[in-house]
Amino acid sequence: MSGTGYGIIICLSYIALISEINFEYYFKLSLMLVSFLLISLGLLSSTLHLGHPERAWRSFSQWRSSWLSREGLAAIITYIPLMFFYLLWYLDISLYKYLLVASSILCLVTIYCTGQMYATLKTIPAWNNILVTPIYLINAISMGALCIYCLTRFYETEVSQLYELTLISLTLCLFLKLIYWFYISTKTTSTANTATGLEGKNNVSFFEGPHTGKNFLTTEMINKIKKERSNFLRLCFVILTCILPTYMIVQEASLIVNILILKLSFLITLIFAIIGMFMERYLFFIQAKHVVSLYYGENKV
Amino acid sequence: MTSLPTKTNKKLGLVIDLDICVGCHACAVNCKEWNTSGHSSPLHDIDPYGDDPTGVWFNRIHTFEVESEINGSKTVHFPKSCLHCSDAPCVTVCPTGASYKREEDGIVLVNPETCIGCKLCSWSCPYGAREYDEEAGIMKKCTLCVDKIYNENIPESDRVPACVSTCPAGARSFGDLGDESSDIFKIVEERNGYDLMPEQECSPTNKYLPPREKNNQFKNNELSSITQDKEFSFDEWKEMIEDASK
Repeated sequence: MSGTGYGIIICLSYIALISEINFEYYFKLSLMLVSFLLISLGLLSSTLHLGHPERAWRSFSQWRSSWLSREGLAAIITYIPLMFFYLLWYLDISLYKYLLVASSILCLVTIYCTGQMYATLKTIPAWNNILVTPIYLINAISMGALCIYCLTRFYETEVSQLYELTLISLTLCLFLKLIYWFYISTKTTSTANTATGLEGKNNVSFFEGPHTGKNFLTTEMINKIKKERSNFLRLCFVILTCILPTYMIVQEASLIVNILILKLSFLITLIFAIIGMFMERYLFFIQAKHVVSLYYGENKV
Repeated sequence: MTSLPTKTNKKLGLVIDLDICVGCHACAVNCKEWNTSGHSSPLHDIDPYGDDPTGVWFNRIHTFEVESEINGSKTVHFPKSCLHCSDAPCVTVCPTGASYKREEDGIVLVNPETCIGCKLCSWSCPYGAREYDEEAGIMKKCTLCVDKIYNENIPESDRVPACVSTCPAGARSFGDLGDESSDIFKIVEERNGYDLMPEQECSPTNKYLPPREKNNQFKNNELSSITQDKEFSFDEWKEMIEDASK
């Protein structure tokens, strides 16, 4: 969610660098509102997920070692140029471009930190790879671009380069994810043998767990999802988030029967794309096999 | 500071002998008993008397079956708690500095006052050593009974972690694994003690001693050829086994 908001800022800054962003009043206002709300609600919901949200401020202290701390710090710092950018853009003071570029760099840094937080976890081979952070970045950019695109349809305006930007980022988003899925299906780092250190060739088998009930680890990290179900969710993501918006954007001309229908269909496209993205996020978490599952019956991770 | 100390004065830890452990779970029970009234108290349980109880435990005993050509099939009980790693990833990922490794003895602890309950440390630990306390909203973990091993109000012989003092089989030892002259260091050398999941590069302090190879095992068919289709008394059976194992 925050990612989409950051994506809007990044795309705006790209457009501002190659042309102008002197948009009409209401279009401008809604871009500000949507990006601000998405960023803030996303950050707020992550904060409320903590066991002690009131202590969240403490997390700004350990940026020397912790990617989560860096992410929190970057997210807060981003607000400084971002708020000034909103103000100057609203007042149409020409300095806003510099602030926009500064904000978008900080947005990229924040997303990079989020990606690295997952990518540096050695315990989850599906996350500990070079594709995770670029996927975080491209997801944000493509959703941001799509968001702006749908708003241009709503306000019946055109923004130069946006068409290309949206299509290219959506395509990249799809291809990176496909490569990622292929890659994680081939990777193994730890086995029940290395986890227990008991000798032999693939001959350690789980006999019984420490208890019959569940515990923190089994509920938090050892999620079991059937292959058919995960394939279905992958297909949903590909269709809803990548193929449907691309089709809508390319085939737009043939869809214009009535301006109201056009607006409505782009709104629905955006909602579907966001649902698809949520499915992808859900899959990213639920499919990530943690090496601790080797102590609970898994043979390799 | 969540950066790891470059060197710790001691490396306090446990050595677990998989050859001795009988899987009685006494260490886990006494761990819960001591710690629910100690440094991390209370260790909450959710729905303790209901259909679906869960709760915070620092020590758990898993059981594996190992097949090998020499030893045949063997059941290995496998107690697992925090390994107090030298390169503890749970410490460096902590955003607040609540998770730390002590320079004086290498024990990894969580400060309950500053933990924000983000759970990232539990995700970074390959061994599943960290336990989130849902009720308290903070992460908890094995403290190596820090409130027992230095406690001057109890007899000196009792100043070992609860899991060690309770083990009825003597499968657990406690000591300074950084001290090459200590008994615990020597036994690890002698018995080829090893690290769990070395590929995760955490350099755990706790070591595991492998089950000994049995040299008095009989080949499966040897035994069945003696016992096949025959009736015999217990004494006769005992004699047969003794003969076969010579």
